[in-house]
Amino acid sequence: MTVLGWLTALGLVAGLVMDFGIAPREMTQGNVQRIMYVHVPAVWVAYLAFIVGLIGSIAYLARRRPGADRIAHAACEVGTVFLGVNIATGAIWGKPTWGTWWTWDARLTSVSVVFVMFLAYLLLRGAIDDEERAARYSAVLGIVAALNIPLVHFSVYWWRTLHQPPSLLKPGSSTMPPVILTALLVSFAALALLGAYFIVRRARVLALEQEALA
Amino acid sequence: MPDNWSFVAAAYGLAAVVFIAYGRWLRRREHELTALSASGAHSQAVRSDNTQAVRSDNSQAVRSDNTPRSQPLSKTGHPRPEPSKRPPLQ
Repeated sequence: MTVLGWLTALGLVAGLVMDFGIAPREMTQGNVQRIMYVHVPAVWVAYLAFIVGLIGSIAYLARRRPGADRIAHAACEVGTVFLGVNIATGAIWGKPTWGTWWTWDARLTSVSVVFVMFLAYLLLRGAIDDEERAARYSAVLGIVAALNIPLVHFSVYWWRTLHQPPSLLKPGSSTMPPVILTALLVSFAALALLGAYFIVRRARVLALEQEALA
Repeated sequence: MPDNWSFVAAAYGLAAVVFIAYGRWLRRREHELTALSASGAHSQAVRSDNTQAVRSDNSQAVRSDNTPRSQPLSKTGHPRPEPSKRPPLQ
């Protein structure tokens, strides 16, 4: 845990150095494009956390092991935090570039639906007193919510949107300049470490809560 | 296009605040639970929202904050007195 914590701190420092020290000012948008280095990795980490939550939920429904439920719960909560950061930073980036904080565009709407579904997941867990029932119901909701992630990703292809199509998670090679791509990947690694650190720590807190309840 | 540094600062600042707040909450919660288990107070049911889950085997409803009721519950569970004890209507 301590090693993961120090690696995370180191990664975050390296990410900030890359974002502000090494990555150049973007030609069209100017320095406001640097928001991308937190906005895009945040959603990738959220997706990864939701996939971990999906696997944990399926494992719990199959084997009924509390450990799988704890991992699913922790991952979905951390994913929701990262998705919230993604939506908020996207709104902040949207104002100077699109001229609006928010628009009911397919990408923004679909990502908000997923965010609300995971908020419902967390509320559902808190609303049911019986631990086993809460775990079972929320596992089902977690699976349904995670299955919406492809809808968010492909929404920019399926509908006409203001949001740009993906620059990296697409078939073919990236069109990004290498230095910008490197900064983005370093930031992603840093936030992924942070996400992993949070998930491990949250799962431990959940285990302590269950011990206290026993 | 202007640089809009204030938007960049807002985005990074907001992300930092959210992550630091979440990390601090996790650490505080872990310390609380570790202290609780160390003090041997396992019998109390502790939930993540810091309320106590109250379970009672008898049929009387129990308030989650354990405060006493101002008057005993009627057997029907209705807060008003039993019909037979009410004064007749004038």
